[in-house]
Amino acid sequence: MKKWKEPLWALAFLLTAALALNFTADVLRPAHTDYGSTWDAYLCEPENSIDVLFLGSSYAYCDWNPGAMYAASGLTGYVMGGSEQTPAITYWYLKEALKTQTPSLVVMEATSLFFDRYQNYTQINLGYMPWGLNRIQATLECAEPEKKLGLFWDLYFYHDRWKELTASDVKKALIPARADRLKGHTAVDQIFEQTADGPFLSDMRQTEEVYQQNLQDFARIVQLCADKGIDLVVTINPTYSQYTPEVYSRLEKDVLSAGAADFLNWSNSFAEAGLDPAVHLYDGGHLNQTGAKIFSAYTGQYFLSRGLTPRPQTEENRAAWEATAQYWQ
Amino acid sequence: MGFLSPSYFLFFPLTALVYFALPRQLRNGWLLLCSWFFYLCAGPEYFFFLLATVLVTYFVALSLEKNRKKGVLFAALCLFIGALFLFKYLEFGVSLLSRILSAAGLNWTPAVPKLLLPAGISFYFFTAMGYLIDVYRGKQPAEKRFVNCALFLSFFPYLLSGPIGRAEHLLPQFDGLHNMDDANIREGFLRFLWGAFKKLVLADRLAVVVDTVFAAPQNFGAIQVLAAACAFSVQIYCDFSAYSDMAVGSARAMGFALTENFRTPYFSRSIAEFWRRWHISLSSWFRDYLYIPLGGGRKGTARKYWNVLIVFAVSGLWHGAALSFVVWGLLNGLYQVAGGLTQRLRIKIRSVLPLREDGKLLALWQMLCVFLLATVAWVFFEAGSIPAALAVLKNMVKPVLWDVGGLPAMGMGRKEFLVAGLAFLLLTAVDACSLKTDPARRLARSPRYLRWCVSLALLLLTVVFGSYGTGYNAQSFIYGQF
Repeated sequence: MKKWKEPLWALAFLLTAALALNFTADVLRPAHTDYGSTWDAYLCEPENSIDVLFLGSSYAYCDWNPGAMYAASGLTGYVMGGSEQTPAITYWYLKEALKTQTPSLVVMEATSLFFDRYQNYTQINLGYMPWGLNRIQATLECAEPEKKLGLFWDLYFYHDRWKELTASDVKKALIPARADRLKGHTAVDQIFEQTADGPFLSDMRQTEEVYQQNLQDFARIVQLCADKGIDLVVTINPTYSQYTPEVYSRLEKDVLSAGAADFLNWSNSFAEAGLDPAVHLYDGGHLNQTGAKIFSAYTGQYFLSRGLTPRPQTEENRAAWEATAQYWQ
Repeated sequence: MGFLSPSYFLFFPLTALVYFALPRQLRNGWLLLCSWFFYLCAGPEYFFFLLATVLVTYFVALSLEKNRKKGVLFAALCLFIGALFLFKYLEFGVSLLSRILSAAGLNWTPAVPKLLLPAGISFYFFTAMGYLIDVYRGKQPAEKRFVNCALFLSFFPYLLSGPIGRAEHLLPQFDGLHNMDDANIREGFLRFLWGAFKKLVLADRLAVVVDTVFAAPQNFGAIQVLAAACAFSVQIYCDFSAYSDMAVGSARAMGFALTENFRTPYFSRSIAEFWRRWHISLSSWFRDYLYIPLGGGRKGTARKYWNVLIVFAVSGLWHGAALSFVVWGLLNGLYQVAGGLTQRLRIKIRSVLPLREDGKLLALWQMLCVFLLATVAWVFFEAGSIPAALAVLKNMVKPVLWDVGGLPAMGMGRKEFLVAGLAFLLLTAVDACSLKTDPARRLARSPRYLRWCVSLALLLLTVVFGSYGTGYNAQSFIYGQF
């Protein structure tokens, strides 16, 4: 026993040091409650309580407001997207998200299939994922080489925040996270004013090689959904930042042949969804919060009409969703 | 693979654990393999130089032991010095010659090939040369076991930036049995951590101010320029002594004791004392293998001062192939000559004034003088060229004392300065403690709660206030370039 005493103490010291460093990282890492990657709040949702899981980039978290969808359809939902999130990261998000939820439907906004291999927000997209094998694999596979170190060790990115630290940073590290009313949605309230000329064409800067890689990652998402018995629907949400009809028809063909249950090109469906571009666009691409409420209600009703039914909820969770719906109304 | 790189944090524990787990006869072989891997990480193209150094040193030492032929030693030393000149000084030498010829009216500008400078070459060449001279002098038996000889020249903690190893001190240690010892591991860890603190919290933070001000001293007030020069004095001490602490700490954790390279040099009361406490392994190398063979102080005062100037000029050149380094070295030599010449006068003045030789006031005054003199010399070291150094010195005495840009213009905000100031106070306190005891050794043997508190505090301070990661330019160790 004496022989092991010192090694055990050394182990205890390493553990204490790891805990102290982890707490320091929790204090120094900025709080993240919107603009995607809202894992803390997601993990506070009661297990297996979500009907629809929305995936994708800012087009997902700006355009879908699960609270508004619940108010219109009784379907619970959550947006587990991230800024400029690539399909490769989306795959790992889905894998991690399915650890605590068994949604009946996964809806993925497909603009990310036109993204480059690396976009601008890998640090946020991966840095806020819960620790575990999925995060490690996602980091190794999807992060830029120069960001990997920081993604394995948060303090590399955030230790310099000691200069701007406030009491709320310490509080955030000490008080456990709670489910919130945003449900992964980000409400933006500006109105896009240059709508007179109608939709405009986005630059297609992606190479064919990257598109094919994104399709392969998408195929992994399809496979994961199939393995879990979840339907996967792919959408293009109402937007003025569009691609040519040829690009969309190729995308439709590709995602359907990869195994998606449906492809819904809503890019021009403003009137059908009850949206007015002059009032409900935030910028050329995304909907503002009023537009998101209308579009989310439309989305919920659309899936209800396609046979999706709300799952039973506990009384407590039903009340929480009612309060959320009330808040958004 | 620097000491503060993630790969070293994997490499070192693995190396140490396997080292302790292996049977005794395999341990040195393992350390040698790891040391060579460490060197390969610095650049595979350099490995040939290390291997050639090991082979030459091993066989020449054996030969010198059999026949103490001056010619063999001379040839080996010429080989090392020639190689050093070729890789490190050729460009400088040719450009100097070209400038001299140009001043004499001759135009000669030959194309000099850009040769790679193998990492750590100045350090392991000096280790090898010192060993061969010792064998020739009969002070040290030649090491018969190739692995031990190779390990002596390649041991990873000191391979790239010293401390420069001495055979009499290290070779017996490679013979000894080093069991895993908790106290050694704790001491090594604390020493390493203290080095990391000095490097990341102080040296690299001050580097921002130094680089900003030295790049355009004309944009700052005299006090700001002087402050930046003083900051460099602290920066280079923290940078280099941090490397030495990490080297000593890494070796200590495995049971090896390396030469101490620094003994609180800025607490010295004369420049001569400063050089006995700064980069000790190099200073003592020059003393034993250059100054004393030149005659040291045995051939009269004038010759002694001449020898001092030669040693410091060579020491300057060792640090870098530029005239500014030679000036830096000579300036340090001149300080010592001036110190020697004025010694009697200064003693007289002190006897007239009510200043006790062992009094604190006098000691503080002398330490301040040493710091300021060293700071003036360091300007030549850091500025990169003589005109740039003169520009910095000129701007220290201009009438404008403080530029309106203030602290932010110097590259640091108020909070950063506060952190640097507090870290400097901690450094001074620890250095003051180290005059009486070895703080790392003492702490490693103190009660557990105290060790844990200090270690965790130091770890968190380093991790939070260190200059690394996103938004920082990682600074390599200053002595890494030599």
